[in-house]
Parts: sequence; C-alpha cells; structure tokens
Amino acid sequence: MSLWRGFGARKSELDEEIEAHRRMAIADRVARGESSEEARAATEREMGNMPLAKDVTRESWGWVRLERLAQDVRYALRQMRRSPGFATTVIGTLALGIGAAAAMFTVVDHVLLRQLPYKDASRLVILQETGPTANDYSNTPWIDLAQWRAENRSFEDIAFSTGMGGRTYLEGNTAALQVDGQEVSPNLFAMLGAKTQLGRGFVAEQPSFGAGKNAGTIVLSNAVWHAAFGGDKSILGRAVRINDVPYTVVGIMPAGFRYPAVNTVGPQVWTSIQLGPKDNGRGYDSDHYEVIARLRRGVKLATASAEMATIQQRVATQYKDAEERADHSKVSVEGYGDSLVTADEKKALLALLAASGVLWLIASVNATNLLLARSMARQREIAMRGALGASRGRVMQQMIVEGLVLSGCAALLGTGLALGAIRLTAAIAPIHLNVDFSTHVDLTILAALCGLTLLSAVLSSAWPALIAVRAPIEPALKQGGQQTGSGRKHNRLRSGLVAVEVAMSLTLLVACGLLLRTIYTLRHVPLGFRTDHIIVANLSIPSYRYVNKSVTASLYQPLLERAQHLHGVQSAGLMTEVPLGQTFNIMLDLRMNGNNISAALKPVSPDIQQIFGMKMLAGRFFSHDDSPTSAGVAVVNPAFARLYAPNKHDPNSLLGLKVWNLRKDMPAKIVGVLDDERQKSVAEPSQPEVEICLCQITPDSGIYQPTTIAMDLAVRTQLSTTEMIPELRDLLRQASPELANSTFSTMDQIVEDSFGSQRLAAHLLEVFGGAALLLCVAGLYGLLAYVVTQRTREMGLRIALGAQRGNLLWLVMRQAGSMLLAGVVVGLGLALASGKLLRGFLYGVKAHDGWTLAGAALLLFLSGMLAAYLPARRAALVNPMEALRSE
Amino acid sequence: MKSEREVYRNRVELLQGTLDMLVLQALQWGPQHGYGISQALRSRSGEVLQVETGSLYPALHRMERQKWIAAEWRQTEQKQRARFYRITAEGRRQLAHDRSKWDTMVAAIASILEA
Repeated sequence: MSLWRGFGARKSELDEEIEAHRRMAIADRVARGESSEEARAATEREMGNMPLAKDVTRESWGWVRLERLAQDVRYALRQMRRSPGFATTVIGTLALGIGAAAAMFTVVDHVLLRQLPYKDASRLVILQETGPTANDYSNTPWIDLAQWRAENRSFEDIAFSTGMGGRTYLEGNTAALQVDGQEVSPNLFAMLGAKTQLGRGFVAEQPSFGAGKNAGTIVLSNAVWHAAFGGDKSILGRAVRINDVPYTVVGIMPAGFRYPAVNTVGPQVWTSIQLGPKDNGRGYDSDHYEVIARLRRGVKLATASAEMATIQQRVATQYKDAEERADHSKVSVEGYGDSLVTADEKKALLALLAASGVLWLIASVNATNLLLARSMARQREIAMRGALGASRGRVMQQMIVEGLVLSGCAALLGTGLALGAIRLTAAIAPIHLNVDFSTHVDLTILAALCGLTLLSAVLSSAWPALIAVRAPIEPALKQGGQQTGSGRKHNRLRSGLVAVEVAMSLTLLVACGLLLRTIYTLRHVPLGFRTDHIIVANLSIPSYRYVNKSVTASLYQPLLERAQHLHGVQSAGLMTEVPLGQTFNIMLDLRMNGNNISAALKPVSPDIQQIFGMKMLAGRFFSHDDSPTSAGVAVVNPAFARLYAPNKHDPNSLLGLKVWNLRKDMPAKIVGVLDDERQKSVAEPSQPEVEICLCQITPDSGIYQPTTIAMDLAVRTQLSTTEMIPELRDLLRQASPELANSTFSTMDQIVEDSFGSQRLAAHLLEVFGGAALLLCVAGLYGLLAYVVTQRTREMGLRIALGAQRGNLLWLVMRQAGSMLLAGVVVGLGLALASGKLLRGFLYGVKAHDGWTLAGAALLLFLSGMLAAYLPARRAALVNPMEALRSE
Repeated sequence: MKSEREVYRNRVELLQGTLDMLVLQALQWGPQHGYGISQALRSRSGEVLQVETGSLYPALHRMERQKWIAAEWRQTEQKQRARFYRITAEGRRQLAHDRSKWDTMVAAIASILEA
C-alpha cells in the first residue's frame, strides 16, 4: 500500500515542480515587459510537450510498469463489471474446480499419507502372523514374538501391546472416565521416539515372567491427565484406580501423543505388560499381542519381509495341529501408516480423487473456452488499440492481467469452497474413515491447484491476444475479423474442447449413476427386520463392577423393567449387537451332530423379536417363561439351518437338537428358526448365527464375560428421538453413572451408516456429477451463444435470401448435436474403461450396466440440446434487416 | 534588438551525454531549482544553449536516484515554492570524471580538426 501512496505523492510532487517552473518562466517574461498573454503562450511553446516529459520522468523512477499494471487491473475490473455474466461464469466455474479438487486432495492426503505422531514414522511396521491368505491374520503369542526378537536382523527393536479388554474406566477426581487402556511392552515409547512430558515413564527392562520393575505402574495421556485430574502435577507417584485396580502414575505423555494411532474409544492410558504363565503357550487362552517394530535404517520392507518369512517357518513348526500350523505359516510386514487404512477405503478415496481431478479439468477447459471465445470477439478492439499505437507487449500484458484477475478471484472463492467442502465431507464421513479433519486445507495442494488454474487462465487469455496482435491490423478493422479463416479454425478448436468436456462429464455421470443404483439396490434389499421407530443405545458398561455378580440380574433385568415402563416406550429389549451395528461380534466354534460349526453368537432378551418384527420360520422365539432355572434354549437362523440341519430343506428338523452348553450340565436346545436377517452389512448374505436367551446366562457361563462388555438397548417408541433420548439417558445414569456415556442412534441411521464407503462415494459423486453436468451445459451454451452472435449477419443474409427459419434452427442444433455426439461416444469409452475402478463399490449393478450408460448419455445429450436450443432460437429469430444494418 | 525567433534559431542542441555534466556544473554554483538551472545554463552560454524541459526533468530525477544530487522543497525569493537541487559528494566525483573525459575528447577532436 505504501508503495502506491508513495507513488501518488511523488506524481503530484512532479506536477507541482513543473508547474513552479512554468510560473517562474512566465513571471520572468512578464518582468521583462511581456504581456501575461504573450508570456504564457511563449512559455508553453518553449516547454513543449509537458505530459510526455512527465511520463519520461516517471519512467526514470522505474515505477511505470507498476502504474501500467494498476491501470490494467482497473481495466480488467471494469470489464468484469461490464459483463457480469461472463465474469460470474468463469469465476464460478474455476472456483468449483479448485474447491472440489483441493478438498478431495486434502482428505486423501490426510487418510492415505496420514502424518503419524512418531519420530521417523516411515520406519515403523506392523508384524502379524497370517494364514494361507493375507486376510486371516491374527495377533501373536509371546513365545512366537520372543523368537522374532531373538532371531531378526532387520529391526532396531520390536515392541508389543494389547488392549486391556472390555471397557475400561478410570476413576478421576470427580467422575469415572471411559478410557482406552493399553498394556504395552516397556520399550514401546522409546521405540516410537516418544518421551514423557512429566515423570520418568516406564523403566527399561526386558520382558520377564513374574513381577517386573514396572508392575502396577501407569502412564497417562495428556488428555486423561487434564480430563480426570485437571492437569494436577502432584498426581505423579500417586495411585489411580482403573476398573477398581490401583496403579501408580509414573508418567504423563505430551499432548498429541497417541498409541495406537487410531482409537475411537476415548483418551488413552498405558500400563506395562506383565508376562504370566499363560504366555508360555500358543493356545486360545494365552494372550495374543499386536506387534510393532522399527526397521533398521536402510533396511527395506521387502528385505525385512523375506527375513521374517524364514524365521516364521521355524516358528510355525512348533504348532502341533496341522490347521493351526497353516494359520500361522506366514508373517505380514506392513508399514504402520498403511495398516491404518483398508484397501477398500484406499480405492474409494483414489477413485474420488480421480473424479475431483476430472472435475477440475472440466472446469479449466470450460473457462479456457469462454476466455478464448471472448478474446476472439475482442480482436477488433485489439486491432484498434494497435492502430492507436499500443505495443504488442502492452496489449498482451493487459490480456494476461485480465486472465489473472479472473482466475485470482476464482482461486479465492475456490479456497472458501474447499474449506466448506471439507466440513461437509467431515460431516458425512467420520464413522467410516476415522479421519482427523481438524486441520485445514493443505496449503501446498491449494497453492499448486491455484497456480495451475492461474496458468491455464493466463494461457487461454494470452494466446488469442498473441494471435490478434500478430495479425495485420487493417483487415480486422475493416471486417470485424469475424469471418476470417483463423476464426473458423478457432471455432473448431473450441468445438473440440466442448466435446472433451462432454466426454469427461459423461464419465462422472456414469460413475454417479452406478453408485446411485447401488445405493438404491442396497436400500431395497429385504433386511429381515423393521428399522422404523427404534432407538438404539450402545451401552457403555462399567464391566469391572460385575466381575463376581450377575450383570443380568443386577443390571440388565432391572434396566429392562424400568425402560419398559418409561412413558412412550412400547417395548424394550437387549442384545449384544443390533443387526448391522458393527460394534461387537462373538464367534462360536462348536461341534454338533459331528459337524464343526462356526457361528456368530448373540445373547438377546425375548422382546427383541417384537421390536425388530422378526418372523419365525419354525418353532418359537424366547419368552418370559425362559429363566435361569428352566431348560436351556437357543434360536438359529436360516444360514445355520442350510448348513447344519439334518434335513437341509426342513428347518423344523433342527428343533430339539442340542446346540451348545450354556454352562456345565445346562445344554441349550434349538427351539426355533428365525427368518433371514442381515447382520454385518446389507450387501453380505447372512452367516450362521445362534441366539441364546440373555436371562439364562449366569456368571459361570463360558459366554458370561462378553455380555458384561457389549450390550445394545433397543427401544420401540412412537416418540421422537429428541424426546426419548434424554429420558433414556437419565434412566441409564440412574442405573450406573458410567452408563450415561452410552451412544444413541436410531435403527434407520444404523442401516444408513452401514452403507459406508458407497454412501460417501455416492454423495460426493452426486456433487461432482451434477457440477460436471452444469459446467458442460454452461460451456456448450456459452460457445453456441457466441457463435450465433458472431454469425448474426450471415443468418440475416440467409433469411434475406430465402432460408426458412426452421433451417437456421436446425443449422445451430446440428452443430451442437455433433459436438455432443462426439463427446458422448468418447465419454462412453472412458466410462467403460474407468468402470474397473468402481467395481468394488457396486452392488446389484455391473460396471458396464447398459441402462446406466444409456441413461447418463441421454441425460447429458438432452441437457446439451436444451442448452443449444436457446441460442438456436435466437439465430432463427434474427431480423434480416437489423442484422444486415448492424454491421 | 534581436527578435525572439532569431535567438531561438541561434540556439544549438546539446551534445549527447553532456546534459548531466552541465547540470552538475550549474549546481556547483549553488543549490538551484529546475527553472533556475535552465536559466543559468542559458545565460552562461550566452543565450546559445537551451535545455529542453522535456530532457531536464527526467535527467534531474534520474541523477537524484543515482544520488549525484539531492532535492528539497524551498521558497524562492519571489515566495514561489520550488524543488531545489544541490550537488552531493558523489555528484562532484561524477562531475570531475565527466569533465576529464570531456577535456580529453575536446583536445582529441581539436587536434584532428587542426591537423
């Protein structure tokens, strides 16, 4: 700013200086006896061309370039005000492209290239034992990983950890806080390169059996320290209670440190792993650990992977059972960052990234086309300026400045859009992606996109200017430069650009169409249960309170009793996980009738059937007559019946069969078969499932412990969620204070959330596809409107010579049609080729689905023709007299 | 009395590159404003040298940027506010340099013409 003020002041100073010169000259002449008239005239003659002198003087300041730039910016702004429609279109178009692409790049950057809060995180890897396929990986028992630690040469260090199991509560100063409790090996923090902010942390020691130096100590995360103890430093060395067990605080980690890096449970605390007798074996009852290691500097992932493969061969031979040996035959070594994103999510994000890139391209092409069209229309103006003495460089500079001003506005607006878009993505994506969206748009990405956009805008405004200033001035002035050969050539170029735009838009539209059909199909899959008017609370159970007493009798039964009598509640039930809940999963391996059976196990209360409106194929569901003392009962699903029923076609043949022992001498017999219901996702057919009656589970049941960890309360009610949820929360708080932390949802929402990546992709593609269609139509309209204006005289002449108005309409429509057709043909090819990217997200529709392809093509073609009709009609309505006169 | 027109015709264009030297020389006689400089050069040259205003001001502003001269606003005796220039130490060095070059050239040209 000061530069401009300085410039302005100096300019008026120069004016004053020269004015003083003139006055003194006149005064001298008057003193010599001339009349003031004569003196003035003579002085002016003597001083010559003063404005020129001032210009030359100012040039010597070296500021003239800036001054001209300011002039050009002012001129560009004036141009924008004069044709607001054009400016709005260009700016809007480019902003849309920049905004969408920047937002997507940011999301992808966060998810895929996630910055981990550890020193040199790229050398951290996760080690997992896997079976024949990479998908059945399992955590690792101590004696296997001890062998890894002893024999490897690839890693600086290997650390391990395990969750505390169940829900973990820390007693703070005022209330119990649900935390993510992790047991870790003492070397973990050092390996991650993390230091405590306060306290000594864990003492370095080799993991050993029996009480180690770190037994009974705990390290708190900064978040827990603040939330539970208000950041009180005196907590160091004092005892805190986790699930009623006391631990001595030996350290506080700095803010922002977390391990594991992704956690959805709550703020974290870490205790030290104490190896016990169970760690001497490899069985189901021994602890299995998550293993993280740091590669030695310079060791490649593949090298480490190869070494681990040979070590694991020796480890695997120690598994006696052949099947188990196969299940632990390999080791996967995966970068820690990579392990946090599933392949599915990666694909979804990359596909969306590609889509946003395409949108940006469409936007740029569109803006280029508009700028080209306008520059062509201004050839006459440029020629005129040339004739008046403007140098080529000067005209070029002005055109470039115009391009810069337009795209600069677009870049600003685009940044705003990107910020908004990220908020929007954060709102629809959080459950699925676990992304921390708190940080803002990535500046490098934004700068790169804005830079590219500026460049393209500058090129597309400078290039026609270059052609125009090279062209001889005279013919352009004479004819308006409209019917010349170069004009036709550029029309062809612009038609080509429109076709490219159409092709790219079609690709996006097809992708969007396919995902919408996927969502539609998913929504119409029969779920096997009702979803309306059900509120679900995922209970946050203080498990430790129920170690030695029946949670069913002391918590669940009274809770159900009270919930059922709550105003507005029609019925209330409990089950470990509602269908599609994706919260908790108990797998049961058992033998029945000589079959090895693998099935999901769900303890439920009798009212669940009524709440979800589940139908029975055979027998009965649980009733209130089933009790801890009555005969054990179980209900199975059709998938179970299909696999294991003695008569595969008659579910009734299962009734009365003993399926499993609820506890010693308490067999559960199958009393009913439920109709099919979706369990994990709408797209997956159901898996074998066994349901047992919650009230029959007692602390001596093998299945007791999981029921103290996970339980969903489902309530059927006619009241709205806003009325019902606070009442339910109150009820839960009365039962136990920790339960107030429970999360609430509706069954409709849970189903919607289960669509996961498809829903996210569909929503974003709706936006991208819609935007692409809009841009494409705008581009086509803009070009044709311009062409028609340019050819007004020709149209008038044709009419004067007897052409029918219908013919003229046809003439323009035909031009539009050929552009659209070319674009659609290329676009269909592109859509087919890009279909592969989408295949993983589709359900009930093929990537080359004819209806979707045809539908999208037709939509695009018709919208295009509609956009073309307006300028075509204008062409047809040209008044020959006016058209001929106007030139 | 010679007519104005005649005087004007008898003036000669300044030789290329000599304006700076003359302006610096004029400022050696004391601080002066633009008009004063042109008047001084004119009278000292016996009304022969006329500095174009269109050349004088660009030259003054350029030399000011080169720090050969410095400027400040002051009142003239006739109470006219004007921009007075004065020569700096740097300017004096430049003048000496220009002057020796000039002398060499004049001597060289003279020896050619008189040969």
